[in-house]
Amino acid sequence: MSEIKKNLKGFSTFPHDTIAEIQRSAREGIYQIRGLGAKRKVPNFDDLVFLGASASRYPLEGYREKCNTSVVIGDRFAKKPITLDIPITIAGMSFGALGANAKDALGRGASAMGTSTTTGDGGMTPEERKSSKYLVYQLLPSRYGMNPDDLRKADAIEVVVGQGAKPGGGGMLLGQKINKRVAQMRNLPEGIDQRSACRHPDWTGPDDLEIKIQELREITNWEKPIYVKVGAARAYYDTALAVKAGADVVVLDGMQGGTAATQDVFIEHVGIPTLGALREAVDSLKELNMHRKVQLIVSGGIRSGADVAKAIAMGADAVSIGSAAMIALNCNADMYPEDYEKLGTAAGYCHHCHTGRCPVGVATQDPELEKRLEPDLAGKRVKNYLATLTLELQTLARANGKSDVRNLEPEDLAALTVEAAAMARVPLAGTTWIPGYDK
Amino acid sequence: MKHLLNQKKTIPILKNIQDIDLVGYGKSIEIFKQVGNPKDVVKKFSLDKFSGSHAIGHTRMATESAITTDGSHPYSTGEDECLVHNGSLSNHNNLRRSLIKDGIEFKSQNDTEVAAGYISNSLKNKTSLKETLTNGLKDLDGFYTFITGTQKGFAVLRDEIACKPAVIAETKDYVAIASEFQAMAHLPDVNKADIYEPKPGIVYSWGS
Amino acid sequence: MNFDLSKKTLREVNSYLQNIDLKSNQRDFVIKNPLGNHALCAGLQDEIKVTIKGHVGYYCAGMNKKAEVTIEGNVGTGVAENMMSGLVHVKGNASQSAGATGQGGTLVIDGDASSRCGISMKGINIIVKGSVGHMSAFMAQSGNLVILGDADEYLGDSIYEAKIYCLGKVKSLGADCIEKEMNDKEIKHLSALLEAQNIKADPKKFKRYGSARSLYNFKIDNVSSY
Repeated sequence: MSEIKKNLKGFSTFPHDTIAEIQRSAREGIYQIRGLGAKRKVPNFDDLVFLGASASRYPLEGYREKCNTSVVIGDRFAKKPITLDIPITIAGMSFGALGANAKDALGRGASAMGTSTTTGDGGMTPEERKSSKYLVYQLLPSRYGMNPDDLRKADAIEVVVGQGAKPGGGGMLLGQKINKRVAQMRNLPEGIDQRSACRHPDWTGPDDLEIKIQELREITNWEKPIYVKVGAARAYYDTALAVKAGADVVVLDGMQGGTAATQDVFIEHVGIPTLGALREAVDSLKELNMHRKVQLIVSGGIRSGADVAKAIAMGADAVSIGSAAMIALNCNADMYPEDYEKLGTAAGYCHHCHTGRCPVGVATQDPELEKRLEPDLAGKRVKNYLATLTLELQTLARANGKSDVRNLEPEDLAALTVEAAAMARVPLAGTTWIPGYDK
Repeated sequence: MKHLLNQKKTIPILKNIQDIDLVGYGKSIEIFKQVGNPKDVVKKFSLDKFSGSHAIGHTRMATESAITTDGSHPYSTGEDECLVHNGSLSNHNNLRRSLIKDGIEFKSQNDTEVAAGYISNSLKNKTSLKETLTNGLKDLDGFYTFITGTQKGFAVLRDEIACKPAVIAETKDYVAIASEFQAMAHLPDVNKADIYEPKPGIVYSWGS
Repeated sequence: MNFDLSKKTLREVNSYLQNIDLKSNQRDFVIKNPLGNHALCAGLQDEIKVTIKGHVGYYCAGMNKKAEVTIEGNVGTGVAENMMSGLVHVKGNASQSAGATGQGGTLVIDGDASSRCGISMKGINIIVKGSVGHMSAFMAQSGNLVILGDADEYLGDSIYEAKIYCLGKVKSLGADCIEKEMNDKEIKHLSALLEAQNIKADPKKFKRYGSARSLYNFKIDNVSSY
């Protein structure tokens, strides 16, 4: 058979995975629900490079010559803005989507590096508040577990309009992950498939968002920075509207952003890549004269210190990691191969968060599986990963002559593809050409 | 700039003058719009010296187009007609293209201007305002509270999902409508008024 | 103790009421000239009594905990949203999303409530002496919504385990919401809710509505509901 296969021509329009998916739909009669983010390739930070030092631009020495990484978040209106030691935060992921050990480990790792974690569509757990030095508390359409005491315990509040994996979709958690504790926190019967609302219950539109933000500030004595999180849709307008509605911070999640569970079609076909959305958001802030006054945190496919550096060079104040943080915890690690196989997948291909049978104990409520994720060791992994991102960021910043990573600028970049040049508004390497841009 | 001239005579003249914009025309409706703080706009046009049978005010929060006078409401939809809108339409681009084919002209990228064009196009074809707005429930997609001004009064319509707010206060002397009660709190005898919220998908009208 | 919002700022009044010195014996407060302010008395957290003389804007008594807030007037969107405990009493009408996502406590509305009354409620008890607008009790998870007047379209759409009792006419029921039995246990339960607010109405005349529970797990046969 392998002899014959060598000479066979496959279909570009109907490759093997498409054939398998059509036949699965025919068998099951429902859309595919899965976790994590877009699997297909889209223009991203890999298509940009830094120029580095040259005869006209001089680099900084590593270690000896300082390269500052700290950033103040939320100083527009809040009485108590947050000072992060590194411009990398942990994105919102719910207790329910992740297990308690995973949330604990993320808290430990983030705190060790002086940065923040974020709650998700399930409310705040006491463990998370205890292990996180800075905790951002999300206000989602579902309002599961929402209460004023947790609002006051939080260090910042994030009003979620949408997320990159599904701009326009509500939270989803399947019955197999709604155990007693999760059910109680979310006020739901155990074992049902949770469908969250996709719009907020008590406001629609930026004019009402402004009033909602005022209420949140009144309840928390105007102390906490208020973030507004949007999925990458109309980033230019969404950013302007968040600013006008009175946000301190805009959080922008590109299409590569992950989720614990949603329809595959939503993940792959709604939202634009982080690269393009980031350009729009920064333009919007600059036009409003709010760049660096309202901070911009960007997420969706941040993997290395190079991604962090490029995002900051394009104008972000910080980045947020979700999928990458899970991978640091052990998501898709090469262990327990039989358990991956039981799910019909393999390490490196797994997107089965929605099943609750996470082989490495990260995205599960099963106590037996959770034992595979020891919070202290996992916390150290997260810390190591964040530290590596920071060192990589500093290396690139120094190579471009910066003593502070916030001094990275778009002119430090060149693009390797026409798409990336157009989306990032950065010249194609070796040329002065930016497609579609007339100075 | 405002003009109250006959449309047939005015348009050919205006086509040759660059700096003047026709924002409305008719026997009784005058439209004033400007970018800026509402207090300043009222002062600029001396609106506190006006009297009449009915008036509509609107402050716009630009969502998907620029902040310009052209982008402000009310939009004139025809002789002695105007429209203000709270919400966001979702099929206005397609609708704009088909209205352009019907001869309607647009000055901005604003979704409300499309709704105004839809209404005036329908009224031009001798459909009543009530029927036009009712047809609009099918043809205009998105979230909206519309208030249309007419020669003798006004009409209100909320889409069938009705997420955008609206509240009406009626006494024997007046009827008032606003997005929120706060705007009406100072009206005379408002505490004795019949206060209710218009139901979704139903055209309410007074004086027309 | 009196406050006058035409003389004091919203922040001053809210800040005072959110941080009551429990050693002082001040427990009763009156607020004059609310002037339609938003988020008035939001975030209260002590057993105090506040009377607001006039109409308010959005989110009055938002996230209320333990306090008793009476509004002698109308309220805007989201009154007592996400309330945790205590009592909020609206003597006039309520606008949209009254008691939205409320987790506990009681909300009483003497007039009408508008659309989405009790949306996503999570344990709050809401009693409306007038009527409620469309999509009321949408995705209501737990708690009780008692309506003495009528209900507009799509009552209880996508409801979970919350209970709806309605004395008047229901224009239509939402997805997965059906009429349920009013047996002795239910009559007793409703009776207690009414008595607690001194409402004279015969519980036996009410109809009960709740979840058919057919949307609890994804099934392709329910595709028309999705």
